[in-house]
Amino acid sequence: MIVLREGNLRVPRWNRKVYAVAGGLTEYKKFCPEMKLEEQVMVAFRQMLEANDLKLSPVEVKGLINFIAAGNFADHFQDQLLCEAKVTDYLGLDPMYDIGVKTGGATGGSTVLTAAMAVASGYADVALAVGWERMSEVDTRTGNYYISTAACKDFETRLSRIYAAYYAPMAVRFAWSYGLSEQTRAKVAVKNHLYAYYSPYAQQPGKYTVEDVLNSPMSTYPLRFLECCAMTDGAACLLLCDEKTAYRLSDKPCEVYIAGGSHTLRVADRRDMAIPLLPHETPDMYEGLRKKEGQRWPGFESFAAARFAAYFAFRMAGIANPLEELDLIETHDAFTISDIQTYGDVGLRPYGQEPDFIESGDAYFGGKCPANLSGGLIGTMHAVGATGIFQGIECLWQLQGKYDKFHGDPKIWASFGKRKPADWMSLQVPNARQAAWISHAGVGSHVTVGVLRKAF
Amino acid sequence: MASKKEATRYIGQPAKVLQAEPALVIEWPRSLAHRHTYGKLSPFFKGLGQGKLLATRCSNSSCAEKGLWLPPRADCPDCNQPMEWVEMPQPVIGTVHTYARVEYAGAGVELTTPYYQVDVELPGVCTIFKGYLAYGEPTIGMKVKACFRTEDPTNTILDMCWIPEG
Repeated sequence: MIVLREGNLRVPRWNRKVYAVAGGLTEYKKFCPEMKLEEQVMVAFRQMLEANDLKLSPVEVKGLINFIAAGNFADHFQDQLLCEAKVTDYLGLDPMYDIGVKTGGATGGSTVLTAAMAVASGYADVALAVGWERMSEVDTRTGNYYISTAACKDFETRLSRIYAAYYAPMAVRFAWSYGLSEQTRAKVAVKNHLYAYYSPYAQQPGKYTVEDVLNSPMSTYPLRFLECCAMTDGAACLLLCDEKTAYRLSDKPCEVYIAGGSHTLRVADRRDMAIPLLPHETPDMYEGLRKKEGQRWPGFESFAAARFAAYFAFRMAGIANPLEELDLIETHDAFTISDIQTYGDVGLRPYGQEPDFIESGDAYFGGKCPANLSGGLIGTMHAVGATGIFQGIECLWQLQGKYDKFHGDPKIWASFGKRKPADWMSLQVPNARQAAWISHAGVGSHVTVGVLRKAF
Repeated sequence: MASKKEATRYIGQPAKVLQAEPALVIEWPRSLAHRHTYGKLSPFFKGLGQGKLLATRCSNSSCAEKGLWLPPRADCPDCNQPMEWVEMPQPVIGTVHTYARVEYAGAGVELTTPYYQVDVELPGVCTIFKGYLAYGEPTIGMKVKACFRTEDPTNTILDMCWIPEG
């Protein structure tokens, strides 16, 4: 049993405030032979510099950057070590120092955390968080195998060689422990594919029904293909800065808080432990949680890394109750089940009641805390190193009131060879003030929770 | 150094063109074998081929947990002291904690699909042990018995599996 002591629970704090001012994305697709990775990163970098209403020219903004955090999950896809050096050179940022960041699926979140720490500490006034992944360098089944090496090589990888097989046992167990229907899981997929339909960046948009999801081919029972994210090529860039520079660059900066947690690579080794409580929770809430035989927390049902990241991030940001105080959230819906599991970890529902976040309507556009209006991983992308940056950018644009600008402009659709749907609708959350995003690795081995707050 | 008289020649294999338009996409062969050690867990993997299931226990009297671990670990994460090997008594009977049916597997899969992966609780073990069910349909709470591939072992975790018990 893991016992957390005083020092372990010290809440991180910035030495000075950190702001996000601009973001840039690429089109996300399974196979992007028309561009090399650094060329694709340039697309995101240009959008960040040119399309975010910054008050200085792109060259002037570049002239302010003096630190780069560069996220890239898997060297074996690209088969190019030190990609960071190619990217920094290609963006014209040499000889600024770049640190490569790698924490699996949470690489994007960890990259933002690294850039934020640079600003908060005073190392940099302006830091770039850039991430990418080029998964099309191998065929899908080889990619499945590569990703499964993010399970324990000795005791797990040979038992599946596909990542859905490490989440599927969680889906079975969660349903047994807390009650979860396949229909509720499918609703997450329906929602996120639909929201992706309104995004020009999206890889897997679609208007599906619950039946379509449940009738789609099985990956690993009980998870169907429409419940899983896909392999993606793509990149994302987010610009962070200190307070003075933030207002010099933008009329719409947002404050940033972000923290992380880690837990064993093997779910099976997650022994029962006391639940670190979020500010709005009380110990009596969970007295009856382990009522069935063999139940443990976090076990196969929850993610201690996500809970620990939320424990820190909400306290850093002064959030007392996430459901009441967040206007939207971007969760790491690599699989429908992991999305639902996380609702408990980040306090959108008490543990054991996670499915209600979907069933109540809270998770939908117009609901209490709409989730994954970007289309999420299932609908829009999981270019792994870019994902946690993409999610932060989508939150930033919502708080800046720029959803329509970045999703509804027919020119953006046309630049990707797509046509904006005639029935396109805006998913701009009115008066959004505060947002959170979750970046998640492995079967919950690393998780960051980031918070963005409107500062204008 | 002697002067080089002959011109340098190309002795590689030309890259196969996978796509010529609009961008040139070539095949990039990658085939190599790594060397992997089981390190201090070697007794566990040798044990499977001998029909034994070895766990580790922390015997440090000042450790707060003194856990029994399977998968084993050479060192205890609670007190950071070396652990000791313990052979699980035969027959090894466990309880299915959860399961999944693998239908689509990644490159190099070594089991015929579909198959059931099972996560098994074992008496006294603080962890849950992942394996596969050789036949039958799992349910949560079902009893299963460990079987070992003692002939022609694979020298991997696939040298053990579970079968329904009773």
